[in-house]
Amino acid sequence: MPQMRKRRRVVLQAWHMSAPLLVVEDVSLAFGGVQALNGVSLEVREGEIFALIGPNGAGKTTLFNVISGVLRPDGGDVRFAGRSILGWAPHRIARAGVARTYQIVRPFGRLSVVDNVAVGALVHARTIGQARNDARDVVGFVGLGAYADRPASSLTLTQRKRLEVARALALRPKLLLLDEVMAGLTPTEMDGMAEFVQHLSERGIAAIAGIEHVMRLVMRISHRIVVLDAGRRIAEGDPAAIQTDPAVIEAYLGAPLAGAG
Amino acid sequence: MILLQLAINGVLLGGVLALSALGFNIVFGVMRVVNLAHGDFVVLAAVFAAFGFAQFGVNPLLLLPLTIVAGFAAGALIHHVLLRRLPGEVASAEASSLTLTFGLSYFLTGAGLAAFGGRFVSVPYLTGAFRVGEVSVPQARLLAFVVAVVLSLGFALLLRSTALGRAIRATSQNLDGALACGVDVDRVRTLAFAIGTAVATAAGTLMSFLYNLNAQQGVLFTVNAFAVVVIGGLGNYTGAVIGALILGLTESFASYFMGATLAEAAPYLLFILVLLFAPGGLRGRRAA
Amino acid sequence: MKRAAVPLAVLAIIALLLAPLRLNGYAINLLYVTVLSIALAYGWNIISGYAGYFSFGQIAFFGVGAYATALIVVNLHWYWMAAALAGGVLALALAIPLGYVMLRLRGPFFAMGMFGMAQMVRVLVTAVPATGSGSGLFLPPGSGITEVYYWTLAICLGAIALTVWIDRSAFGLRLQALREDEQVAATLGVETTRAKITAFGLSALIPGLLGGGYALFLTYIEPDAVFSSRLDLQSIVMAILGGLGTVWGPLIGGLVMTQISEALWARFPQIYLMIFGGLLVVLLIALPRGIVPALAARFARRSGA
Repeated sequence: MPQMRKRRRVVLQAWHMSAPLLVVEDVSLAFGGVQALNGVSLEVREGEIFALIGPNGAGKTTLFNVISGVLRPDGGDVRFAGRSILGWAPHRIARAGVARTYQIVRPFGRLSVVDNVAVGALVHARTIGQARNDARDVVGFVGLGAYADRPASSLTLTQRKRLEVARALALRPKLLLLDEVMAGLTPTEMDGMAEFVQHLSERGIAAIAGIEHVMRLVMRISHRIVVLDAGRRIAEGDPAAIQTDPAVIEAYLGAPLAGAG
Repeated sequence: MILLQLAINGVLLGGVLALSALGFNIVFGVMRVVNLAHGDFVVLAAVFAAFGFAQFGVNPLLLLPLTIVAGFAAGALIHHVLLRRLPGEVASAEASSLTLTFGLSYFLTGAGLAAFGGRFVSVPYLTGAFRVGEVSVPQARLLAFVVAVVLSLGFALLLRSTALGRAIRATSQNLDGALACGVDVDRVRTLAFAIGTAVATAAGTLMSFLYNLNAQQGVLFTVNAFAVVVIGGLGNYTGAVIGALILGLTESFASYFMGATLAEAAPYLLFILVLLFAPGGLRGRRAA
Repeated sequence: MKRAAVPLAVLAIIALLLAPLRLNGYAINLLYVTVLSIALAYGWNIISGYAGYFSFGQIAFFGVGAYATALIVVNLHWYWMAAALAGGVLALALAIPLGYVMLRLRGPFFAMGMFGMAQMVRVLVTAVPATGSGSGLFLPPGSGITEVYYWTLAICLGAIALTVWIDRSAFGLRLQALREDEQVAATLGVETTRAKITAFGLSALIPGLLGGGYALFLTYIEPDAVFSSRLDLQSIVMAILGGLGTVWGPLIGGLVMTQISEALWARFPQIYLMIFGGLLVVLLIALPRGIVPALAARFARRSGA
């Protein structure tokens, strides 16, 4: 534990010095009459673990869709590595270094696990052989080595979650958007995933984790937290500050936090 | 005056197209299946009606209940024996249901040709016309229109006021929700497909007043129904009626002003334009 | 098995090359039509099998190729193969802007949209006076079936080679990824629009090249003959029956289908269509993924056991 606190301090120092990797500025998006995002802003630094928490429907997935270029916001700006990526096609954003996973896992069912991952690896590889080799490494890295040549449709839910992460990692991203990557996992698996994200962070890969539940983990591993509620940012800060924020407790956290202490 | 005449022709045609499209729409709405055999049911019923009239002098309106029952039974059977067995995965289900109804379409065309031959036939029934000033309203078209409107209203009533109708609408709007509410989705689908074909055969019987047809013309009516439904918004029943009127008017005006050959392209052009520029249909919501 | 494949393929190709020397008129016509529909099936398989965009309108490019060839031969007196090549290039050139527009549609919307597009092209061709309108166009006689056959065979082999390459290439992987889930593919760095349009272009080039040969084969073309829904249907069924998005599906499906089709046609001309459609339905229920994947699965089970 003390070790972790030390690391957090180091990262926090770095946070004040380095330029932000991702800047989301006053982003708004409405579907019909529903304001899914309402002036949301946030900044993520290199290697930072950033938690985006809020109940179902708070706008987490919508924000991920905006950052990854799937949706275009009505207003606001998204900058990555100093450049505005607003209006960029999703593939261009992915190639620039933003990778994402999907809340509802979406494997390429009829392709093998390796080929699922090789799609992302093609961005860097010169040949398809090289992409498959790179993919094999990543598949092993997430612990799916034994299933590398099976069709992705044969994987269990947990394995599919890992496949989501593996596909994203194959892009060698600087920023990873993890959409409810903990949901449906057992406590042990969650710890594994958390450790994994910390490991990535140490290698300089920033992560935004959209998370509804499992506050215990969020508080333990994230450097900073933004709380969304009904498309609005209601709080931002480090875990300690969030836990005591009255607005957060009222809107959302109250009970589960008391238990997680 | 000619414009009024063309408008009347278009509206009368639109009424029958709307009925046909309702059948197509319910199948798509509930099952997400584009029934490529839809037009073959229409045409088969039309050719059958013409055959009955020519051979035995049967009034096609008397045949109507029979064709509706036969269409319903055929639809239920086809769904129960074939469509239900398609693989469940969404990605391949779409392709395989297209392929299956594609094969079915050829089967029906072949059956129609074998049974009734390839001659173009229609029902020479009520060949007179009402004249109002310079405008003439062909009696057969008017009758087809009125019957189509009555049947469409019956269809609407079925959807709005019965338990089955509510189950159908629920399944169209939200499959998971319907499942969660305990709707027997398999049964609803069977009924939806059966109703779809019954409506198609009813529309076909009426089409026999309007068109010269043989069993190979099915694809024309599949495209018409698809066009109507695309214009009105898939799964949107009120939209389909408006779409049918638009298509009927387009066909009527295009054939007068552009000549028969180019007019053939008008419905295709119309529906491609709608597909590209108003993907949710003219009345439809835009997909999120 | 792999080792036997190459000599077997070489033998088959030699046999196909020598075939015109030994076959009579009827047999060579049948062989030509078989090779033609297999080649069309390979063309369709790229956009519909690999990229997952079901098109009911690729026959439009076949018709465009046929009409372009006929017009060039009649008016400019080019050697027909050069004209047919130009027809293929024209089909490709039309496919790129068309694909850009149409490939925004998905699933049944794309399928029906392409069907409508093909019908529109047919009507437009009919409406242009230079094509002889609806009444058709005569080609000068001279080029025999043998030349047409070799042209078609060359394109068919080319289409197979292209498919083998696609199946193993990065391009093919990208197509399959977008077939499975287009949005996910895009967020994994796949430039989906470009990949789709490329696939669509190839799926237009192949029928475009084949159309010219068909015009020469018929020596007289009219819209209904070259915008043939029967040829379109046949090639689609072949690819599906053999196995969508597989290298050997169109070939296997094509061979099986031609045999069945010939036998049925000869024996039951009256109810040919009915049996044909019924068979398609039954096969789809029995082998939902086609012959090649079914065989592969069986083979894998055996060797696994």
